[in-house]
Amino acid sequence: MAEEGAGRQLLSEAAAVEVLAYLVTAARTQIDEAAEYAPLRLMTAAQKLADSISADASAPVRALIAAIATMPVTAVPRSDRDAYVARVDEICVAAADCLLAVNPPDSPL
Amino acid sequence: MNTVLYEALRARRVTRNMTPEPVDSSHLDLVVQAARYAPNAGNRRLQTIVPVADQRMLQLLRQVSPGMVARPMAAVVICIDTARAVDFGFDPHAPGLFIDVGTAAATMLLAAQAVGLASCPVTSFSRAAVARLLALGPGQDPRLIICLGHAAADQPPAMDASHQPAHA
Repeated sequence: MAEEGAGRQLLSEAAAVEVLAYLVTAARTQIDEAAEYAPLRLMTAAQKLADSISADASAPVRALIAAIATMPVTAVPRSDRDAYVARVDEICVAAADCLLAVNPPDSPL
Repeated sequence: MNTVLYEALRARRVTRNMTPEPVDSSHLDLVVQAARYAPNAGNRRLQTIVPVADQRMLQLLRQVSPGMVARPMAAVVICIDTARAVDFGFDPHAPGLFIDVGTAAATMLLAAQAVGLASCPVTSFSRAAVARLLALGPGQDPRLIICLGHAAADQPPAMDASHQPAHA
């Protein structure tokens, strides 16, 4: 059972570098890509990070990871934009719930 | 009508989920050799084909290629040989150079289909990072990566399954 709390280290250096490399190279590819790929790239980065921390994550973080995993890797806001937006909004709500859980009211600032 | 050929091009799919099954080196060679049979303007062959079979390098390539969803077991990088293109009097951004990248890619994708390999073309990658990883010379401009492997049973949905080719 993973220890709960916001101060634990979940990410190895190699995994962190993979996410960093993805982010900076996606910044470059986005210059030439269709605009609809912007949320796709960000969501993929989130999924990469989620995959890297899932093994040792606490329960609230695992819930967020599960929400992120519901987004198909090829999803873009194209044919059903409203459904896509609703799906991302649900993940954002899950992120807010996770933030509240790992930062309880009595936690140090 | 050559129904075998037509069926091969009809059945080919972009594969974004591949198994860890290795790619036979002879199959990779056949895919690379197929580029020689692609139509190429003036038969100038201003594209360089770089096969990648090293698993560590494949992993690194994927890490600088946001468009590479699949975890390929082999890959082919198509570069424009800009130094030779300039020698021929081309602007390095001349459209014909990129059209020939496309014909080479299409031919190799069909070759992959012919030898039983799944494939996925990728253009969303950092060309600068790929050039560094592969230690490409200054005149080599990587423009397209073909991922190769074996298709997993489960595949992510197509980007837009409703799309149909436009007719004039």
